[in-house]
Amino acid sequence: MSANDPIRDLDSLQINAELVDLETIRHYIEQRAALFQLNPSITYDIQLAVTEIVTNSLVHGYPERRGWIEVQIDRLGQKIYVWIRDRAPEFDPTQHLAPDLSKPLNKRHLGGLGIHLTRQITQKISHRNLPEGGNETTLVFGT
Amino acid sequence: MDINIETAQGKTPVAILHPHGRIDGSNYQVLINEGNRLYEAGNRHLLIDLADVSFLSSAGLVALHSLVLIMSGQKVDEQQDGWHALAAIEHEAEAGPQPFVKLLNPQPKVTNTLQMAGMDAFFEIFSETAAAIASFKS
Repeated sequence: MSANDPIRDLDSLQINAELVDLETIRHYIEQRAALFQLNPSITYDIQLAVTEIVTNSLVHGYPERRGWIEVQIDRLGQKIYVWIRDRAPEFDPTQHLAPDLSKPLNKRHLGGLGIHLTRQITQKISHRNLPEGGNETTLVFGT
Repeated sequence: MDINIETAQGKTPVAILHPHGRIDGSNYQVLINEGNRLYEAGNRHLLIDLADVSFLSSAGLVALHSLVLIMSGQKVDEQQDGWHALAAIEHEAEAGPQPFVKLLNPQPKVTNTLQMAGMDAFFEIFSETAAAIASFKS
């Protein structure tokens, strides 16, 4: 981490709807995690959950790859809150069916795997439609 | 993500993939493409060394699953985005560890991701290269 890293002091990060920017988001999370003195395991979980939600937004919400996604992270007491906003058509990850893990892997639909992982590493996931259009997904993590 | 490849000879030839870095939605297709190339070159057994994979998202899980499909002779539709392609694929292999693709030395958080997805039961996971290579049967 460079001392004059421009991402370090950002309260939120806005990126274009490109999968290649996933690395930029993870870098932003690392900077915020360092600021909040989070341990590497929690930092990884935040990176994984945000990667899954952002990837869903990019793949399902922006098939034409035009638009933006905003990620904001804050610490409130012993909890870490992450807000992921976009202007894509409504997509509520909390309504996304998780795969049936009782079925053999080869009989399981993998499309819900990202949501399934996210549910397991977050304390809470919520979604709301933004008044101006788009989605806001909130992830809550314990520290 | 960079991928190094080597081959080893046990009871049967084994291709060893050494991906380095993070595997997510931006690059998982690279791994699938490499699997297709190896299969077309005659490889049927794959050992994936995950020691240098520091991050694995669900797209990485999709890639690992795709490699099993490829090595077992099934086609993965590269024109789709991976998630939807795999959701439609069902094959006849029985549940439990399959004999085509095995994993070597995943980092703890990567192992945790495999476990959360229930995929640790689908892959044999080894900590020593020689034991992994010896486990493949012709």
